[in-house]
Amino acid sequence: MGEHALLYILFAPFVGALALILVSNRQPLLVRGIAAGSAFVSLIASIFVFYAYDLDKGGFQFVQKFEWSRELGISLHLGVDGIATPLVLASAILLFTGVFVSWHIKDRTKEFYIWLLILAAATIGVFMSLDLFFLYFFYEMSVIPMYLLLGMWGSHTKKYLEMTDPEGLKLRDSVGFILNFGSNSKEYAAMKLVLFLSAFAVVALMGILLIYKYAGLNTFDILVLREQAKLMNIPVLGTTLDKIIWVLIFFGFASIAPLWPLHSWSPVGHAAAPAATSMLHAGVLMKLGHFSIIRVAFEILPDTTREMMPIAAVLCIFSIMYGGFVAFYAKDTKYVIGYSSSSHMGYVFLGMAALNYISLTGAVIYMFAHAMATGMLFAMAGWVYDQTHTRDLPSLGGLSNKMPFISACFIVGCMASIGMPGTVNFIAEIMIIVGSWNKYPLQVIVAVLGIVLTMAYLFKMMRSMFYGPMSQKYSHAHDAVGVVDRLPLLVMITVTVGFGLFPMHLYDVVRSGVNPLIARITQVVPVASHEQDQLNVTREAPESPSKADLTAVPSHLAHVTPHSIRGLE
Amino acid sequence: MTFSLTMSLADLLLLLPEIFLTCWLCLILIVDFAFPRMSKDQLAFLSVGGLVATFACLTWFDVAHISGTLFGNMFVLDRMAIFFKMFVVATTTLVILVSVQYVDRFTFFRGEYYVLVVMSSLGMMFMSSANDLLSLFVSLEFSTLGFYVLVGYLREDLASNEAGLKFFILGVFAAALLAYGISLVYGETGKLVFSEMHLTATSGTIIGFLLIFTALGFKIGAVPFHSWIPDTYHGAPTPVTAFLSLAPKGAALAILLRIFFVALATFKPVWIVLLVAVSILSMTYANIVAIAQRNIKRLLAYSGIAQIGNVLIGLAAGTKMGSDAILFYLLAYLFANIGAFAVVIAVGQAIGSEEIDDYSGLNRRSPFLAFAMLLFLLSLAGVPPLAGFIGKLYIFVAAIKEGLYTLITVALINIVISMYYYLVIVKKMYINEPIDPSPVSISGPMKTVIYVGLAGTLVIGIYPQPFIDWIIDATLMFSNFTTQSTTAIPPTPPFGG
Repeated sequence: MGEHALLYILFAPFVGALALILVSNRQPLLVRGIAAGSAFVSLIASIFVFYAYDLDKGGFQFVQKFEWSRELGISLHLGVDGIATPLVLASAILLFTGVFVSWHIKDRTKEFYIWLLILAAATIGVFMSLDLFFLYFFYEMSVIPMYLLLGMWGSHTKKYLEMTDPEGLKLRDSVGFILNFGSNSKEYAAMKLVLFLSAFAVVALMGILLIYKYAGLNTFDILVLREQAKLMNIPVLGTTLDKIIWVLIFFGFASIAPLWPLHSWSPVGHAAAPAATSMLHAGVLMKLGHFSIIRVAFEILPDTTREMMPIAAVLCIFSIMYGGFVAFYAKDTKYVIGYSSSSHMGYVFLGMAALNYISLTGAVIYMFAHAMATGMLFAMAGWVYDQTHTRDLPSLGGLSNKMPFISACFIVGCMASIGMPGTVNFIAEIMIIVGSWNKYPLQVIVAVLGIVLTMAYLFKMMRSMFYGPMSQKYSHAHDAVGVVDRLPLLVMITVTVGFGLFPMHLYDVVRSGVNPLIARITQVVPVASHEQDQLNVTREAPESPSKADLTAVPSHLAHVTPHSIRGLE
Repeated sequence: MTFSLTMSLADLLLLLPEIFLTCWLCLILIVDFAFPRMSKDQLAFLSVGGLVATFACLTWFDVAHISGTLFGNMFVLDRMAIFFKMFVVATTTLVILVSVQYVDRFTFFRGEYYVLVVMSSLGMMFMSSANDLLSLFVSLEFSTLGFYVLVGYLREDLASNEAGLKFFILGVFAAALLAYGISLVYGETGKLVFSEMHLTATSGTIIGFLLIFTALGFKIGAVPFHSWIPDTYHGAPTPVTAFLSLAPKGAALAILLRIFFVALATFKPVWIVLLVAVSILSMTYANIVAIAQRNIKRLLAYSGIAQIGNVLIGLAAGTKMGSDAILFYLLAYLFANIGAFAVVIAVGQAIGSEEIDDYSGLNRRSPFLAFAMLLFLLSLAGVPPLAGFIGKLYIFVAAIKEGLYTLITVALINIVISMYYYLVIVKKMYINEPIDPSPVSISGPMKTVIYVGLAGTLVIGIYPQPFIDWIIDATLMFSNFTTQSTTAIPPTPPFGG
């Protein structure tokens, strides 16, 4: 343990996947045991990292560095700061719970767990990469398991299955990439997801390659690049290079976030995926987008970020409202949750766009909170699907008689998703809203309306799933009774409520990562009058604690320049 | 010009692998004739033995840094030549291993098959060492000769005959162009050795080199010289297709590297345009056409054309790093491609079909084959953590340093397009249900090749540093070759806020 904790978190699932290759599918219990075991190691290590993270020291901790290729300037450089730590924890929790949620998968169990573990490990890898190459490496690596998980263990939509006439049969396998909303096969969903994400991943890769070239340092190391890369004010194609790179990075990674209008793969993918995959997908995979933007664009191009981030503030309005309205009208349980996720990710973009301490801290906490809330909802939608074999809302109903535990948990999940006080989502939402109010009042109003909308569609969904008359064909449906079935939900509820009531440590950790970042971004660099070394002085000079230090943050971490206060106001 | 043909026995050491393989070739022939009742499998293992010994000898050359030139600079043995010889010999070994079972399909001349494969391999070893236009022509024709026969080896199969004929006619045409190009260049410069040419841009040399490039483009199958590839790959016996898709490309790239980086070094701003155009055409055309393919061999043929488009990016970069990237890419391509063809042969043997539709449910019929094919295809598509990803990235890094933005953009778009057709096969194998669920069995040698392919694909992808070190040493000869690219944007101005 100790300083190697990150290696345990990252490689435990990989080792688990390798071990699974050697196990036969005829021993399902052993298969599940290995998967659960390796997920457990990862979870324990990430809890350790979360609590052992040294708040006074801040910065990147548990750093591991192995040279990987001298010629290309790549090293396996791992480390977590206050922003990555909760996300690593969230991934580990969702992997661990996901293993139990998919406990009853009978078809090709071994393969399922192999791909699930690889998916989770790759996601975790992105969160702890301090090297642009490995960030992209793990990012792209997380996409392919999605294809197989969706395609092999996913489910079709009801409309798709209803297409049995010859015309429909022909129609349903055609590549109607835009027009076939609501009637998707899992193959279509999987292919769309992979192609969409790969297409935007290569956009981001272009940005990464441009950073590599123009920094001229022959390294992909983020920590080196953020200190030494000089990418500002190079005129290219009528604009400046840093803006081009920023746009490539931002939109490349925003597609997985998913920011409107790049979201269309996401609800389709969520809906088709098996429960555990949806959980990981909506819970942490989507956060790769926000996280990578923070890690690459915010760290390496702070000044450009300040200039360009209003783009996100504009687009997030559409994200929030569009996702919310579609979720309201959707008739498929997983579509509702999928669109609700893509709507909620708009809040994170709002928090990021406002670029101040409170809103960005809120955004990061929101990522963590949303991972838990959406994980719960998808786990339960998956349970209901397994019991009833339908995701069609109108045909469901009255299930609370059959599954009281699930329906009770569902209420908690909805509450968390709405952001009720007592859940960690509340804290995150309120921070985003308060933090963004000064800069983007319109967006905040939209966000509040979005909360109302969330309430509307989640209650509507809850009503049509669990209350009202029950169709006789679901009389065989049963509740989650065993430990294995209840454990994942209980873990996620505990985490949500636990951090909702005692958010201080989570807040402190996130804040320690956000502080230096915002300090870098919001300081207004005087044009051309400062030399390089003077710049460094302004960036690193410890000055008196500012107004931004609203809460109990270790005092020296809150040191910011006077400029940053202006940025906050 | 005068040739000094005085050479000592020590000089002949440089030719040791070739001499050894020639003797071994005769040995195979003799054994085949002397023991007609001997199982042809044993003949295969005899050939593999010779090739392994040759490989060991080449490894010794590489480790002991043995190098030199022979026959008045016609034949050069440097580290790059050794690399490409090892590439050719390794490919040949693996191809013979995948042929073992396949050869039973031939009605006649089963023994000669191995002889012809090893003979072509010998030709390509000479090609890797060709250092002037004359030895280029001779070795190129020598290696192609074997292929003409091998492609049409399925005598009862019309497709195979058609493939052979098509390959022959176009191949001879390319040879004629090559000879004409050589004569033009020789007429203008009076020199044959690449490093001794002091070129001026006259119409004779320009047309001459364009013709030579056309002939070599035919060899590597770059668009617009690719038209023989789909039919030939489709009709030829599958092991020959695998051979054809790897070894000649490697050997021809060795020559392309020598021509562009040595003979034409001063003309970089000119040929960079040509290479960029050919590269863009190859990638885009092949990837789009590949989507429509229903036959796995045709699909791999088009995928091979697209991969060559990627390799040409490294050539267009025109730097030491570009040549490193090419060598590395070839290494990654070797393992993924031979592995993919091994799976194709294994499946073809078991279910008698090479249609993509018949791969349905392969995961249920043979999880191992499906998994192997998955990794090989993903490596070809360039997905981490597999070798193909590092290869692509290496090439992009080399190209972006030279500022080839358009080319990289096109290549990145092409990655996404190629992902589609590779994933269609993955979909068939993993998602679709099998029509006939009977398990697929694999023979021992085939399994070996697939394991080698898997090991190479994964090890190079996860820990590439030793391989990068090796290829960097192999191309040390190009380390002085740095010309300022015309498309590069001027260096960055100082930081100003």
